[in-house]
Amino acid sequence: MENITKKFKHLEKWQGTLASCIRCGYCYEHCPMFKHTGWESDAPRAKIITAFGLLSGQVEASESAADKLFSCFYCKRCEAACSSGVPLTQIFTDAKKDLVEMGLKGPGTTSITTLNCARCLICVGACPHEARFYDGNAIATDPAKCQACGICLEVCPARAAKIENNFGTGRDELIEKASAFLNTHKASKAIIFACNWSYYPGLMASVLPESETKEKNYEILVNMCGGRLDPQLLMAPFLHNAWGIMAAVCPDGECQHEGNLKAKKIIKTLCNTLKSIDINPERVRLVQIPAGDKTLFQAEIDTFVDRLNKLGPIR
Amino acid sequence: MKKIDEPRLRDIVGERNIKTDPSDLYIYGSDSSVHHAMPWAVVKPETILQVQRIMKYANEELIPVIARGGGSGMCGQTVPVQGGIILDMKGMNKILEINLEDVYCRVEPGVIDDDLNLALKQYGVFYPPTPASSRIATIGGEIANNASGVRSVKYGATRDAVLGMKVVLPDGELVSLGAHTRVEASGYQLHKLMVGSEGTLGVVVEAILSFVPIPEFRCMGVANFDSLNDAGHAIGSIMASGAIPSMLELVDSVAIKAVNKTMDLGLKEVAAALIFEADGMVKEAVDYEINKMKKICEKHNGQDIHASYDPKEREKIFMGRKKLFPALSKYDDNLASTALADDMAVPYSKMAEMAGKIHEIARENNIVMTAYGHCGSGCMHTKILMDTKRKDQWDSAKKAITQVYEYVRSVNGTTSAEHGIGLSKAESFKIEKADSLGLLTSIKKALDPNNILNPGKLMQAPENWITATNLRYSVNS
Ligand SMILES: Cc1cc2nc3c(=O)[nH]c(=O)nc-3n(C[C@H](O)[C@H](O)[C@H](O)COP(=O)(O)OP(=O)(O)OC[C@H]3O[C@@H](n4cnc5c(N)ncnc54)[C@H](O)[C@@H]3O)c2cc1C
Repeated sequence: MENITKKFKHLEKWQGTLASCIRCGYCYEHCPMFKHTGWESDAPRAKIITAFGLLSGQVEASESAADKLFSCFYCKRCEAACSSGVPLTQIFTDAKKDLVEMGLKGPGTTSITTLNCARCLICVGACPHEARFYDGNAIATDPAKCQACGICLEVCPARAAKIENNFGTGRDELIEKASAFLNTHKASKAIIFACNWSYYPGLMASVLPESETKEKNYEILVNMCGGRLDPQLLMAPFLHNAWGIMAAVCPDGECQHEGNLKAKKIIKTLCNTLKSIDINPERVRLVQIPAGDKTLFQAEIDTFVDRLNKLGPIR
Repeated sequence: MKKIDEPRLRDIVGERNIKTDPSDLYIYGSDSSVHHAMPWAVVKPETILQVQRIMKYANEELIPVIARGGGSGMCGQTVPVQGGIILDMKGMNKILEINLEDVYCRVEPGVIDDDLNLALKQYGVFYPPTPASSRIATIGGEIANNASGVRSVKYGATRDAVLGMKVVLPDGELVSLGAHTRVEASGYQLHKLMVGSEGTLGVVVEAILSFVPIPEFRCMGVANFDSLNDAGHAIGSIMASGAIPSMLELVDSVAIKAVNKTMDLGLKEVAAALIFEADGMVKEAVDYEINKMKKICEKHNGQDIHASYDPKEREKIFMGRKKLFPALSKYDDNLASTALADDMAVPYSKMAEMAGKIHEIARENNIVMTAYGHCGSGCMHTKILMDTKRKDQWDSAKKAITQVYEYVRSVNGTTSAEHGIGLSKAESFKIEKADSLGLLTSIKKALDPNNILNPGKLMQAPENWITATNLRYSVNS
């Protein structure tokens, strides 16, 4: 066992903390990855169990074990909610450092660079976590530093930055979810894009009877960080007869990735575009929600839907 | 280890609903208990038919099957001691019907308790058994454990709220037990037999549950005590007085310190505190109950007694209680909170003595233990806080646990009030139920002749819980 612990020289210091996680699973409800796949092995508790397994030698440092630790959006909701005080993402990061030294690096949710990269270095400057760099040959990502915020994806003009495992939060997945909702709900009017910090989901993992949901007039879709909103995504609902879209992001100064500032710019541009084609820009709204403020979030949605009701459908 | 017919399982549940990679299996080998053992496969059925087909296959091949909900069981109920297939029931997560006219709801077993209550809330009703772990516990797991919670003192445990259910038997047969009605006297109450059966008799695939109106008024009070003994006597007196609390919780000094450390609730660090609540549709009636409880606390030297209708104030007190078990890990940086000897029940008159006894036994064995729980229903929780790396601490814990259970049985208490038996409480359970063990075994045999459903638990569990499985901690030898 000592030999194994030595291999995990960053993770080793967390041995005591790993024991103090009581494995209650209270972190599940906070994890967008668990909610997307429904597999416990994607939940924060599972990563703690895996870290313990690696450190104790009970789990082989395989690609699939490593993939669990490389998959995290660093929203840190699990650790904010953990009353055992386990600093989960710090543990994941240290485990990642050791795994990288062993030659394992995911991808998990780490952003990668595809061949059409023009090496313009925009992503290197834009990465809030100093994870992207030029390695003398190509643009690379330090998997231990990457927090999967996706800012690089949105700034890349060549669309060469990519997160392979989006857990339902990728652009295409969101467009598909939005159109599925708009096409199957007669009363549907709006799509609300919410970053994972501003939206505290009510229902955790269960499905309501159809009778309860058929009158729903809006759908909330989690897009992780506001910085990942792009015009294509924001316009997509309008192609499926949405009356409007709202985006919820963190308040100024509170976004770990400064994605809220990017969202502001994108929404502004979008409003101008709408104006130019004679669509009332009030159909697009950006709101700032402090983490976990459910009441404010709901109030903003209600106000927005009221406004849309007054505006009516787009003709 | 038996060879699993993976293609057959894939065929039943579909490619995306099976995991066989060792790194996934390792994760599903543990729950909130101290135990760990490796399963052979994890499958996530989405329909009753899939559950039936899995059971049929497992029964033919004599492969153990362990149903799993949230995996928040505290005594190793879902830990596959003999290997086998984990049935992750969270894939069956639909709330099927909320019937306001006939006052029941119908749900699949993987529905999370909090989710159900959120869905019911808009109709002004709630499902009351709700354990502290309601954010992760599934209805199936609650049924299989007969879970109960802070409000069970007034509204009853899971057993009282289950009207009926559909169950897949080990041979794959589907049966409907119980009824959609409030009362039933048509033969053996087989649905109630399933309650608390810990996944050893059948797989619950649908449940019919009753609900009750959310009261208009809720008032919560707190009383501090300089001695655990006084607090214990106050509990006994409140329950004997005919008062109807909707919550009556005890927290001791260890628990208060831990909650303060994690949640900054500013609770006064006294020897013990009682949290009490009354609810109802008429304020005068609630006032009446609260005043009665306040007076009794006063009589037993309670201090700083106050009560509030303010939802914010109530939420603050309640959150502290809800997060108590995880918070206990913060009591001391070198000590981890372990789920051991965690939920006895004793007669009301023994509450005070029991709380004292827990601390006495802890001192004797040089470990830290805490006393808290849903004392209004006779339930007393403890947790053992120890340095899990040290083997001598495990030996002390084992000794302490044996002593606690000996005491509990000596005063006509019971080994588990709500968390179940699983592996870690089996030793005491077997002594407590010595004269009915034969009967329990016959029932198990009649329903599961091949012993494939969660084998090695309850009366089949190994005598020594420490060696029953790997412990999920690194223990230095
Ligand atoms: C922090 C914390 C606090 C807790 N507080 C309480 C409390 O206040 N009150 C309380 O009662 N418990 C409490 N518990 C214990 C536990 O959460 C509950 O007993 C809960 O009911 C377990 O539900 P689960 O879905 O997690 O079940 P699991 O742990 O997944 O399973 C428990 C048992 O149910 C069986 N099972 C699961 N689903 C099915 C099914 N569909 N059919 C047949 N069998 C099935 C399993 O085989 C196993 O034997 C607490 C646990 C934790 C970690």
